[in-house]
Amino acid sequence: MSGLEAWLLVGLGLGVVVARRRSVAVGLVTAQALVLAVIALDQAGTSSDLVAGLALAARALGLGAVFLAAVARSREPAPVRAYVGPVLRAGIAVALVLALTALVPAFGLASLAAGRAVLALVASGLACAVTRRATMFQILGLVLVENGLALAALMSRHASPLIIELGVTLDLTLITGVAILFHLRIFSELGAGDSAALRSLRD
Amino acid sequence: MTSIQALAVAAVAAPTVTALLVALVPARCVTFAALAGAMTTAALALTLAGLAIADPAHPVTGHWVVIDAAGGLLLAVIGVTGLTSVLMSPAWLRHGSASLVSARRRDRVYYAVLLLFWAILLAVPLAGNLGAAWLLVEATTAASAVLVGFSGRRHALEAGWKYLILTSLGLGVALLGIAILTAGLPGGAGGLSWQQLATFSSGRPVAVSAYLLLLTGLAAKIGWAPVHNWLPDAHAEAPPPASALLSAALLPAVLLIAWRSERALAPVIGLHPAQRVLIGFGLASLAVAVPFLWRPMPFKRLLAYSSLEHLGVIALGVGFGTPLALAGVTVHIAGHALAKALGFHCATPLVAHEPRAALHAVTGIGRTAPAVGTTIGISLGVLSGLPPSPLFISEVLILAGGFSSGRSWAAAAAAVLLALGFLGLAHATIETVAGKAHHGRPSAGLPGVRPVLALGGVSAAVLLGLAAAAPWLAGTGFVAALQRGLP
Repeated sequence: MSGLEAWLLVGLGLGVVVARRRSVAVGLVTAQALVLAVIALDQAGTSSDLVAGLALAARALGLGAVFLAAVARSREPAPVRAYVGPVLRAGIAVALVLALTALVPAFGLASLAAGRAVLALVASGLACAVTRRATMFQILGLVLVENGLALAALMSRHASPLIIELGVTLDLTLITGVAILFHLRIFSELGAGDSAALRSLRD
Repeated sequence: MTSIQALAVAAVAAPTVTALLVALVPARCVTFAALAGAMTTAALALTLAGLAIADPAHPVTGHWVVIDAAGGLLLAVIGVTGLTSVLMSPAWLRHGSASLVSARRRDRVYYAVLLLFWAILLAVPLAGNLGAAWLLVEATTAASAVLVGFSGRRHALEAGWKYLILTSLGLGVALLGIAILTAGLPGGAGGLSWQQLATFSSGRPVAVSAYLLLLTGLAAKIGWAPVHNWLPDAHAEAPPPASALLSAALLPAVLLIAWRSERALAPVIGLHPAQRVLIGFGLASLAVAVPFLWRPMPFKRLLAYSSLEHLGVIALGVGFGTPLALAGVTVHIAGHALAKALGFHCATPLVAHEPRAALHAVTGIGRTAPAVGTTIGISLGVLSGLPPSPLFISEVLILAGGFSSGRSWAAAAAAVLLALGFLGLAHATIETVAGKAHHGRPSAGLPGVRPVLALGGVSAAVLLGLAAAAPWLAGTGFVAALQRGLP
């Protein structure tokens, strides 16, 4: 993976953290997943690699379509405000990226840049899920983390068994699907996909 | 495939096939199919557990399937808890009304998801490698989140959402740990079997980072403090049979994965550092849980905080790692599962008797509904560690194991926290059962009273037997196998 590809993936991730509109964020996440699929197909050396790359591409397009459908079915009069503004969100994400890359030593992926990009995507996903109130953005945070882990699998020096790769893809897609169902139900119940309205259970 | 491996496949296949059947059979047959499938599943799981426990010195180890002493214990716990959950479900379904799906499809969807959740849970202790174990644990999240939010009420949606997001993020962090391990294993993801983790070759600092990420991620699913925020909400809002399965089976099953990881990676990162992480989570969980056990709170929420306490105790026992402590862990996992499942099952007749119990602390249930009060008394009494509760003996064993392992400071701190927890929960037991009575619905005809009473009787007998056997467990081959881990 080139440095440009790594920066592109990280930039798209940070874009999701700061994006105001859900549809824009969905586009950024889908673009990021498609970049991963292109990297996977470019590196594919065996038929298993090819299947895994195609699965990534199908997942990217499928999830993008489902996300856009969910956004269309849960139209809100105005975007749900985040806990903090976009500049602070970006600052939190970058701080988390720097902390994670400083704490986790280089761990044997194909290149140092790949390892750092993995950590940056995971950190961006965590920052997105923690700093956003909108349920859709919290799901997109999960997908960012998943994309980071998909990159780790792609950049590993050893080939992973196909069953594990497909299993992980299926599992994460299932979780995302259940999360979208919850988002739609929360929207129909509360009139907004706003997790701040879900704070009645406290001790 | 050997006969024991075939039995393992059958134990997981039975609830899966039953879930499919439940989705297809006519509506009038749904409950019958679920109950028949549950009994078959429990029989298979208990047979497999019996075989694993009876011959702990010879575990079956493969790349995909492992059948060993620790797995046998968890299989027995999951088998029994799952059976009681399915048996108690008709009472809850008769009483409960709202759901995520239409009333016509409610029972069918509920049983199908519950059985799938049970099937995945049964597979967790059998997973022969860390990758497969992670896949199964993640899959439990999808199924159990639907169950947590099943009533479709606002509180249930909130609890389900928190559970889904927090545990998925946690498992994402755990998967990052696994990805780091994979990069340093000679066989990549193919080398994630429990035995091969010890061949990690990227150096100790990387292994420590991976282990910490893995344990922190799994902690979010186990409900260890400080990443436990979803636990009280999910346990309180799920249907009682699902709460029983979540607390008594899911949490210890995921803890088993943490335990296996600790044993497998100890040669790389050192046994004591690996154990110290578990002891840290154990003490943190106890410290966070105890203040809540002193506060009046809704019955199911009280049980949830008690889960936090008990999973902390189990983490301490695994972290101490001596035969005494591991004997305590065995008794604690089994005793906690029985008492906690009984407690959650009591919630169905309790809420029918006194609806405010869903949102508030209730008192004097023994006076207005003696049968429900008695079973609640058994459950809370055992969970508080009131002698002759097996949990009293297991806690003493774990503390003794801590002192004998040279971690006196941790054992002493745990002893103080356990004593405080005991006082809080014992007080809650007395108030709930024998405190000032409020007027509730007449106790005759409450849903689920008879099965709860029967379950209470059977559980009390088994728990007393467990308490009697506990002191002799430390010297057995079973505990020796737990301490050895997988060959």
